[in-house]
Amino acid sequence: MPDKELKLFDYDKAEIGEELGSYEYTLTQEMVDAFRTSVDDPDAQFPTLGVKHDATAFAMVYDDQIGTVNAGNEVAFFNPPIVGKKITVHGRIADKYLRRDKPYIVIEATATDEDGRLLEKLSTYQLKKPDELGKKWHPEQK
Amino acid sequence: MAPRTEIKPDQTIPSVTKSITEGSILGFESTGILDRENIHNNPELAAKRLGTTYTLASGRMSITFASECLRKFFGAAVFNHTGTVNLKFLRPVKAGDTITVTGTVSGSVEIEGGTRVSVNLFCDNQDGNRTAVGTGTAVVN
Repeated sequence: MPDKELKLFDYDKAEIGEELGSYEYTLTQEMVDAFRTSVDDPDAQFPTLGVKHDATAFAMVYDDQIGTVNAGNEVAFFNPPIVGKKITVHGRIADKYLRRDKPYIVIEATATDEDGRLLEKLSTYQLKKPDELGKKWHPEQK
Repeated sequence: MAPRTEIKPDQTIPSVTKSITEGSILGFESTGILDRENIHNNPELAAKRLGTTYTLASGRMSITFASECLRKFFGAAVFNHTGTVNLKFLRPVKAGDTITVTGTVSGSVEIEGGTRVSVNLFCDNQDGNRTAVGTGTAVVN
């Protein structure tokens, strides 16, 4: 993984279409086993969901002091990843909007393997004001 | 696996029920390639950012559970190559919860290369509270 200095995330400065760059990793059997055990599904074929390609791309670029809550995910599967193959992930900020005065961004990642097989496209709708949800879940806290 | 000819509107897909534990939440996080603290593996951070007294299960765990339902319905050969899942998260999922994912066929549309079948998806906890709602699709021939 590249060891580069992170940028402090500023919602107002984030731009739709902003590239989050690319990174590579090799899928190991240990990753597959950990994922399958965690979701109690010995036939699960996409441990890439546990790698969180889009959030990882974001975290490789930004230091987010506010944090986030995952409001939703969209995923499309194309080919299951293969153990031992190198996976390349490309991320970007796909959208940014306010809903009920709450700030959201949509981060997106596309994964392919070393043979050029398209594996998965994953998007996350991130609420960039997590304390708002905390208040909703725990209304006694102000 | 349901053959195309047997897929009907309002048809129920196989459900799955999953017990969420601290171990399963941490195990899911351990699949990642970054060693970083977040609201899923650090209760202090979850308390600071959300005001919770617990860590949250990643929403992607529910995505995975829904994917299992759809894979069992469409078959791995179909779902793993044409499947989609789209969930909106409504309530937090935490250790001690039991999540059941259910779904029903909502429609189909002819597209190039087959028929895209849509399924309405629901995730509910042990108290009957809905934790997520959404749709899944796959293309059958």
